[in-house]
Parts: sequence; structure tokens; C-alpha cells
Amino acid sequence: MFEFLFKYPLAAFRKGEFLFASGWPVWLLAALATLACAALLWRARTAPSRLGPRALAAVWALQAAAACLVLFMVWQPALAIQSLKSRQNAVAVLLDTSRSMSFGVDGESRLQQAVTALSERVLPGIEGKFRPLLYGFGGTPQRMASIALEDLPPPAPSSGIGESVLSVLRESTAVPLGAVLLVSDGSDNSGRFGRDLMAEIRKYNVPVHTIGVGRERIPGDVELAEVTVAARALPRSRVSAQLTLRHDGQRDRVTRVTVRDGSSVLSSQPVTLRADEPVRREWIDFGAGESGVRDLVFSVEPLAEEEISGNNARRHVLDVPRRRRRILYAEGEPRWQYKFMRRAVHKDASVQLVTMLRTSTNKFYRQGVDTPEELEDGFPDDPEALFAYDALIIGSFEAAFFTPKQQVAIRDFVSRRGGSLMMLAGPNGLGAGGWQNSELVDALPAALEPDESSFRREKVKVELTRQGRDSLICRLDPDPERNASLWQELPELADFQRLGPLKPAAVTLLAVRYDRESLPLLVRQNYGRGRSSIFATGGTWRWRMGLPSDDERHDIFWRQVLRSLVADTPGTVRLTSDRTNYADESRVRLRAEVRTKAYERVGSARVTAVVTPEEGSPQTLDLRPAAGELGVYETEFDASAFGVYRVEATARTEQDRLGADTLHLRREGGVAEYFRPERNAGLLARLAAETGGRYWELDELDGLPGEIRFSEAGITARELLDLWDMPALFLLLIGLRAAEWLVRRKAGIV
Amino acid sequence: MYSLKVRRLAALGAALTLVVAPASQALQFWGWGGGRGGDPRAWDFDPDPRAEFQFVRYAYGSSEGRGRRRGSWQTDWPDAEYHLTNGISRLTAIDTAYGGKFFEPLNEELFDYPWVYAVEVGRWHLSEVEAEHLREYLLRGGFLMVDDFHGSYEWASFLASMQRVFPDRKIVEIPENDPLLHTLYDLDQRTQIPGIQYLWSGQPYEDDGYTPHWRGIYDDEDRLMVAINFNMDLGDAWEHADLPEYPENMTALAYRFAINYVIYAMTH
Repeated sequence: MFEFLFKYPLAAFRKGEFLFASGWPVWLLAALATLACAALLWRARTAPSRLGPRALAAVWALQAAAACLVLFMVWQPALAIQSLKSRQNAVAVLLDTSRSMSFGVDGESRLQQAVTALSERVLPGIEGKFRPLLYGFGGTPQRMASIALEDLPPPAPSSGIGESVLSVLRESTAVPLGAVLLVSDGSDNSGRFGRDLMAEIRKYNVPVHTIGVGRERIPGDVELAEVTVAARALPRSRVSAQLTLRHDGQRDRVTRVTVRDGSSVLSSQPVTLRADEPVRREWIDFGAGESGVRDLVFSVEPLAEEEISGNNARRHVLDVPRRRRRILYAEGEPRWQYKFMRRAVHKDASVQLVTMLRTSTNKFYRQGVDTPEELEDGFPDDPEALFAYDALIIGSFEAAFFTPKQQVAIRDFVSRRGGSLMMLAGPNGLGAGGWQNSELVDALPAALEPDESSFRREKVKVELTRQGRDSLICRLDPDPERNASLWQELPELADFQRLGPLKPAAVTLLAVRYDRESLPLLVRQNYGRGRSSIFATGGTWRWRMGLPSDDERHDIFWRQVLRSLVADTPGTVRLTSDRTNYADESRVRLRAEVRTKAYERVGSARVTAVVTPEEGSPQTLDLRPAAGELGVYETEFDASAFGVYRVEATARTEQDRLGADTLHLRREGGVAEYFRPERNAGLLARLAAETGGRYWELDELDGLPGEIRFSEAGITARELLDLWDMPALFLLLIGLRAAEWLVRRKAGIV
Repeated sequence: MYSLKVRRLAALGAALTLVVAPASQALQFWGWGGGRGGDPRAWDFDPDPRAEFQFVRYAYGSSEGRGRRRGSWQTDWPDAEYHLTNGISRLTAIDTAYGGKFFEPLNEELFDYPWVYAVEVGRWHLSEVEAEHLREYLLRGGFLMVDDFHGSYEWASFLASMQRVFPDRKIVEIPENDPLLHTLYDLDQRTQIPGIQYLWSGQPYEDDGYTPHWRGIYDDEDRLMVAINFNMDLGDAWEHADLPEYPENMTALAYRFAINYVIYAMTH
């Protein structure tokens, strides 16, 4: 309709420059229009008429508008626009042949729909004017002789829309390319179609017209869109994974999520997908098991009417290193909390609690030490000795016991070494121990009350906060309601300590109810590379003594607290990859952060990584220093074979071996296309808009061949498009005269 | 120079002292004296509740029999508690309440105090319910120190109730290298600590309990739950710490054992 009324497609008006083809001055047009209006006004006022004042004014306005319109047409309005020269330009046609194009409805696949639309409605319109360059693409574009189904390449396991368009643009620099026509469902799973890639495409100044195929919503489909879970866990620890489930949101459905390691089910729980919640986040906890590599499969049970079940599962490699993490616990006085904390992790394979307990003024009792010499001289003076531990707990100890140098080392333990610090309440601890005047004051998550009476040996009930309900530390049971109930039933704590105001970044996981006030009990915050926390009680032992001997709540809680302190503590070498699961993506980026035993950055290390695939021989890579980041080394490798890869990085200087770190990652194929199977019209529309093209639906392709020619790319000519003869102008003129006639008729003159 | 009358009176007084004092000690030993404090249930002094460590006495019931009487759990009360808790405060960093508390076997409050002391357990009698209660207390992490029982007869009597607590757990000799004997003091020498009867009998043992034994019951993780001082009397050594006649070195040793036990209970 637009083109019927205005003679040209909308794109011509958007891209063209308006001008008057007569060449006469515009001021003359304005003067004549003013003169015509004035003459008509003079005539209306002087000529005898039976019309009333209102009708007279209306008639004058309509006559003046008609006169102005005629003058406008006489001046020959036109659009100056660049358009592709016929038969001298090429148009690249990119047809998505990835696996997701085989999805369809009623027996017709997306690919069949696309081929039909191209061959019947698009190509016939452009073939006479431009040379079509046909490509099929998934990961990389391939030239095709025709778009007959038998000439198409086999279904590709992934699609990289941005990269394919860019590749065609680069390849076509020798060809006058007037436009790109992209036919796809918009399912880009390369993970790299971001702003940078879009900017690079835009640089070529070639309009990309996109045609969307497929349904925007697939009824009855549930997808496990994302699994967020740590890459490493401690042996026998609990691990919490966040599953993001997407579904059509049309009605409530009940299904089940499961975590498996091989054939054994680690955890399984029902989940209700609600109609008003198309994206649902669900937590599932499971045991990490013994040390080793867990090749986990997270899955959501397919719904009864589900068409695509390939997006119901995701894999994840969980590294459970053998190394036992060491926590130094310095306690200023014998007390029950000390005993029961030790008992809670006595048999924990992942955490070793090394303790030094002040039994009398100058005597310390050491437990959990590796050698008779360990801590023989008391609390470490040397930062390197302190940094050998992964976490540090300070109990009922006055700050003055620690020298300023030791206090600085404790602070650096958190900020530089990346360790965790936990301060416990006690008659000599926190504010009562003068820690508010120590070097640690900035590191702690709360200000401390400088009052000896801040520690109270009174029984108080513990409360789970909102953040605590979501935290793995406070997870006594995977079921949130059952968990809340288990916390509610716990015996009262034996004591607590008042804290001052919390720091802005502090998170409170537990609180106590005292004197109708809710006081923070377990508070934590990140500080530098590490984390600090305060547990403002020494009285959780009442949970152990107040509950039946087979009740594990006290021990579970403390195991989780202590594991949380060490779970993310880095070593001198920290190796990471850009992700842990590479689905249809083979480029792996490795990054190693290297530090000395005192955790100073090392810029001159030699860092190598040995990459061992599941099958095949290992390869050794050198990591190079990253630009602008001291102590960081990077490299990439191509994980072409499927399976689990083991990567071990080692850092050395000329004199020393600084350390090593290992990670595992999984490379798999043929799965990416099952995710986000619905048409991603947003991505296609954005690509078109950013490049000056247009997004087209399959049922509105008639105007596409005509619109392609308006392009500034390729070989173009400046074209003048007359507008004076647009049907819309003539219709407007007739409309003005008809309106005048109606006014006169209403006044009874005609 | 004193007169004959005065000398006779002095001799009589000395004779009376020699006869009455040991008799009084003997009566106290056999339970008729009840110690200087009398019945703890009538005692109105509560230890400071704000302290971390409270000395708790196990107020068990007794059965009748040879030499048995009700209330033997009170023996050495309250001086043993006062002297020992003072000593613990002075010699260690433990925040200790002065004096002691006591609880009957079925009192739920017992679970608020993971340390408990039972004296003269050769005379105790625990019912099935009480034994079950004590077993649960120990399995949750409580620590029991038993003391002041001697000879084969009292051992058998102690064993009868203890086997109701732990029918399947063995009572074993505590080895030299057990942490119990090294938490604060290295107590390598096994010296028999005698009761007050030593002052008039001159024998460190009672009945046929010639050899002292440090025995114990361990949990599944090899942690001591019950420390058994057999054929010795630490309670008397604490109680009579201020008695010039009682050997000071025995009191000192008894303190050291007790402190090691308390620190062990608070660390293992």
C-alpha cells in the first residue's frame, strides 16, 4: 500500500535526499504561495457570499491548501538517491543451514520454508538485476551452486551469524557487493556476536537484509538454558548449582531436574514451571564426592508434548582436587566452640584445621599440625609462612597479642593472598579484644563495638536471613522450607557479641533476636582478592549438645562454613579458562595468574601448559604475558577433539618453581543448535537496522527485491525519483476540492 | 615449767587429738561427715554463669550394700570444687567459674555443660534410663571424669552401671602417649594419688586397690569420653589442698591431672 500511494518503498524516503527538480528558487515558491493565500483571502472578504463566517474561513483554508499543493507539484519535488546499477552488482544470499533449521512444524522444516521463499519470491526478483552469490552457512559460509535442497551443505552443528556475514563481506571485497540477504532463524550460538563484531560488519557499509524463519515461540518446550556451578569443589563437599529453565510460559507445568555423574544420580528434585514465569531459576545441591573429575549431566525431564528434547540437558566438568585445604585457627582460650568445631571437620577429607590454642599465659597447644615444628614459635611472623594457609580463623584473642607486623600480614592475607579470614566472638574477641583499633579494621565486614560488655553469655535464638536462605553455607536441607524449619528448631546459642554498623558491601547470612532487635551474627564481605567474615558467637556448640547425637546439623553447618572459607582460595598459580564447557566451540582461551609465595605478582615467569585430551597425545603450550596486566599470562588452543581435557599450567622463574594449577574442561559437539530453538527476531532485526537493511517476515517479501537496489555499496548511480506524480498527492488534491464542495453543500449553496 | 596438772591435760588433749581427728576424718571418708559444706542441695551459692567452664558434679543415686550409702556423690563437696576451680583459673587461660554445680542424671540441663565429674562411683547405681541418658550425653560430646573408687569390689560395682551405659565399649588403660596426659602438663609418671585416709593409715591405697589405673572409654573416633581414675582419689587431693598435713606434691599432681582432663575435654 505504501508503495502504491508513494510510488517508492519506504527505504527510498529514508535514504534519499529531498529536492525540487524544477530548479526554481524555493523562496519564489513561498512567495507565490503567500500571494495565492492572500488573494484568496481578499476575494473571500470582498466577494458577496451566502456563507457564514465559519464556513467562509473553512472554504478559504481548503482553497489556499489546494493552491499551495499545486504550486508544490509545479516545483517538481523529487528524491535524489544512490541506487545499485542494474547488472553490475552482486547480492550475497546467506542461507542458514545449521541443525536448528531442520526444526519445523507440520512436516515442513525451517530450511524448506526458507528455500521455498527464496526460490519463489526473492530470487526471481533480483536475478535479472543483480548477480546472486549463494552461500550456505553454519559455523563458516560455503558457496552453493543453487539453493536446491540437494545442493545445500549438510546441517552444521552450530551457527555463527555475525562471523558468517563478516566472512562473506571480507571475501567479497573484489566483487561489487550491493547488499547481503540473510535467511536464518537467528539462532547464533557462537557466543561472539557482540558489539565489536557488529561494529566490524557496519564498517563495510553494506546493507544486510534479514529474513526470519521459524516460530518465535515453541509450545510445550522447556530448555535448560544455563547451568551456573563452580568449576572446582572440595572433596565430599556440597555443591550448589543454579539452573536457568526457559519454557513457553503458557501454563503451569511440573517436571523434574536431575544431576548425574555417569549413571549415578547425585540429586533430583521436582520443579514447577509457572505460566507467569517463563524464565525460572532453580537451585539444586549435590555432593561433590571424592577427589577426581566429575563429568556431570544436568537435565530437566522432557514435558509430555515436547518436540525438542536436545535442549533438556547440559554437561559440566567439576574438578575435585585431591589437595586438602589448610585452615589456621588461632584461639585465645580453651572453650567448647573450639572443641566442637574441630570435631565437625575431624574426618573431613577436604579441610585440615590446624589449631593453636592458648592454654595458659605463655603456652600453646597445637593440633592438626603436619610436623612437630609447625607453629612451634607461635603465630607466624613471616607473611610467607602465614600465606601457606588457605584460610585463617581468629577466636577469642585480644588484638594486642598480635604484633603490628602480624596484623598487617593478616590483612594482606585477605587482600593480597586472596585468603579468607573469619573472626569469632569471645570475651577477648572482636570489640572486646580491641580489634577496632587494629590494622584489620578496614578488612572486617562490620565496625566493632569498643565495649567489653559487647560479648554476652546469654542464650539467643538464631535466625536465617534472606541472603542466608540462598547461601550454601546455611543449607541444612536442599528443600528451602525444610531448611527454614531445621534452622527454626535449633537450640539457642550459648552466647553472642554485638557488632557495630555493617560495611556497605557486607552480607548478613545469620542474625540473632535479642531484646526485640535483630542483630547480625554471620556477616561476610569481599576484601581485595579475598573475603572476610565475622561470626559473632562462640556458642554454636549448644546445637551439638542440645540435639540428639545422630543429628548432624551442627557438623554440617561448620563443615560448610569452613569449606566456604577455602573453596575459592587461589594458589600461587591460578589457571582459568573462558568457560568450562565448549559446546560446538573449539577455541579455548587460557589465563594464568602467577604470584610468588608472598603473593607478589611475577612479570618474568615462564609459564607452560600441558593440554591432555581424553584421547590423543598431549601438547605443550607457552603462555605469554597479557598486555597491561602484570603477572597474567594467556594463550589459546584449538580443542578440536570431543571429550574432557586436562590442562596443567606450571610457572617457573630461572631459579624457582613458583607453582602449578590444573583445570578440566569439556568439549562437545552437536548440541548448541538445540538451545534457543525459537526464532531470534530481535537479533536479525538489530543486524538489519545497524547496517541500513531491513528485517523481513516470510509473508511480506514482495517488496524485498525492489528495496535491495537502494544501497550505497557496490557500483551505484545517483538517481532522481520524481515525487510530483505520486498518487498520494493527486488524492490529496481531490480530497481538498471535495471537502470544499461538502462545506458549500452543508451551507446550502450547492 | 608447766605443772603436772597442766602436763596431764596437755597429754590428754594430745591423746584426744590423735584419736578424734583421724576418727573424724574416717567418718567423713565413710560419708557421715558430708564434708564441710554439708548437702549441696541446701547450698545457695551459684557459680558465675558468665564463665565458659563450669565444674559440674554428677548427682547419681546409690544402691544399698556393703559400705554403701545414699549421697556418696557429694563427697569432697564443696572444697574440692573451690580449690580446683581456683587452680584452673590461676594456672590456665580457661574462663572458669568459681565453685561448682551439680545435676541429677536425668536433668536436661546437664547437656549445657559438656564436662561432668562423678566421685565414689564404686557406690553409684544407674538405672537403664539414667544410663541411656548418660550415653547420649557422652555421644553428643560430653566428657565424664570418674574418681575415688578402690579395689575389686568397687570396680565391679562401677562396672555394673558403666556397662549399662556402654554395653559394647571396652574400658582400656590410657596409654602414655595419649594426648590426655600431655595437653598442658606432660604427666609421664603414674603416681597413685591417695585420699585423706593416707594421713592416718600411711597407705596410699584402699581396700585391695594397690595399683593405680588410668583407664578410659573411647568413642569411634578414638576420643576419650570417660576418664576413669581407679584406685586413687583426686577429689581428696583437691579438697585438702589447704590442709598442711596432706602432701602438697599430691595436690599439685591432682591439679595437673584435672587441668589436663579439662583441657582435653575442651579440645577433643
